[in-house]
Amino acid sequence: MTHDHRQIERDAALWLARRDAGGWADRQQAALDAWLTANVAHRVAFLRLEAAWDETARLKTFAAGDTAARIPARGEWAQSPYFAPSHARAGRSRRAAARRPRRWPVFAGLAASLLVAAAAMGGFAWRDYTQVDRAAWETALGGQRVVNLTDGSTVTLGSETDVRMAFSRSERNLKLTRGEAFFDVAHDPERPFVVHANGYRVIAVGTRFDVRRDAGQLRVVVTRGLVRLQSAHDPSKAPSMLPAGSIATIADDEVAVQQVSPDEAAQALSWRSGFVVFHHTPLAEAVREFNRYNARQIVIADPSLEALRVGGNFKLDNSAAFVRLMQSVFPVQAQQRGREVVLTRKAQAHTAR
Amino acid sequence: MRYLRGMGKPIDAWFVREVLVHEQALMRFLRRNWRDHDEIVDLRQEVYVRVYEAATRRMPDSPKSFLFATARNLLVDRVRHQRIVPITAVGDIEQLNVMEDELEPARWLSGREALARLARALDRLPDRCREVVWLRRIEDLPQKEIARRLGISEKTVEKHIAKGSRMLADYFHGALDADATPGKARGAHRWLRKST
Repeated sequence: MTHDHRQIERDAALWLARRDAGGWADRQQAALDAWLTANVAHRVAFLRLEAAWDETARLKTFAAGDTAARIPARGEWAQSPYFAPSHARAGRSRRAAARRPRRWPVFAGLAASLLVAAAAMGGFAWRDYTQVDRAAWETALGGQRVVNLTDGSTVTLGSETDVRMAFSRSERNLKLTRGEAFFDVAHDPERPFVVHANGYRVIAVGTRFDVRRDAGQLRVVVTRGLVRLQSAHDPSKAPSMLPAGSIATIADDEVAVQQVSPDEAAQALSWRSGFVVFHHTPLAEAVREFNRYNARQIVIADPSLEALRVGGNFKLDNSAAFVRLMQSVFPVQAQQRGREVVLTRKAQAHTAR
Repeated sequence: MRYLRGMGKPIDAWFVREVLVHEQALMRFLRRNWRDHDEIVDLRQEVYVRVYEAATRRMPDSPKSFLFATARNLLVDRVRHQRIVPITAVGDIEQLNVMEDELEPARWLSGREALARLARALDRLPDRCREVVWLRRIEDLPQKEIARRLGISEKTVEKHIAKGSRMLADYFHGALDADATPGKARGAHRWLRKST
């Protein structure tokens, strides 16, 4: 039995392109599955295209740097240090002959993409020529952990936090997949220190800063040195430079930067000593902070309470004390319901004023 | 949303890993042994179909040998069927070299080689197509965003991706360019080529 293989390949390519467009519904997947099952010729054609297409993600190795990305000219690959003569096997890189003075501009992100690429292929091949030290740490709810990294930097993980490390000779990459972490970075101008979080890169050379992920939100607090904040998705966006005393909040891809005194910035990081410091902080925000660290969750049942302002130093692991205090100074009533503490408004106390 | 991969079945992964990896050698074999080069792609896909179908019944112990044996059998079938060459020559077909050791599929093992190959594959795409594939695969932009940025329709982006995926596959698996120097016909199978 013979097929029109060229037509099948065109069809397979269309399937692949459509699936790649996103918004792929179960119904469409079912249609694709049916097409693949209908004929082995369909399946082998699709697998062949898909395998090559998937492989191309590995080219991110060249592009994941912290320079605003652009599309490299043809043949420019040869200038990448990856294909530099000292690394490359002799006589392999034919295009290297096209010499240009400029080095590959986006090399800085090499190891960053190794994370991605290595995950895609099991990671075995990468170690041959790019030594990447990897490690991962996590903390449970209410946990905290200080990790000393091989380069002399330290990372302090907050509650419910995952941090992954991939250090290569050219770059120090860390990925904050959830939670909050404080980074005290050992100075090494040869190896940028990059924290990847929520579609952003937080890049430092020697500094102290804190990165926190919340649902859809990212916060970066810089207590020393200078940090560059860059979108990983939108290369056309200018990076934000954050000096010490900056608190950057990113939500919906919008970056808002607030300048505070170094002391105030440091207060944002008091969680490291097990405390939290509030200054005219809305109750809703204060409650979020406690909920980050405690299994017993506080719930504000009455929205009118959310805007109450609280201040003071609190021990993070003692939310009961916080709740007691709220009851004594505010018209607030707390009720234990299962694992939750529900805050409601105390009617009489309020109307009394 | 994460869609189900096409490679859902173990046999699919096996096919990519153990069979597709030999495409360059397979193409060379077919070019050497089949005179009508317009039919090479069809033959290749037909070989893949046979290998995949056979593997669903029983996994071959040596995928590479099985692939080339299948290719050889397919050529024999075609020759017999089409009677293009003298039927008396068919006996020689059994001696078609499989050239097992000609090309080692090193690319799955050598990251650098694979990257160089991918880079070259990307460079062979036409300008716009290359741009779209870059933005999609390397910058990870959604198709919608690529359309907006390049000022073209989403349908056009989709077409570039479809075309790009085909060209990338040809080059990545098969290295259909100067890399694949036309093999010198040799020995017993020269007869299958058009006599010059």
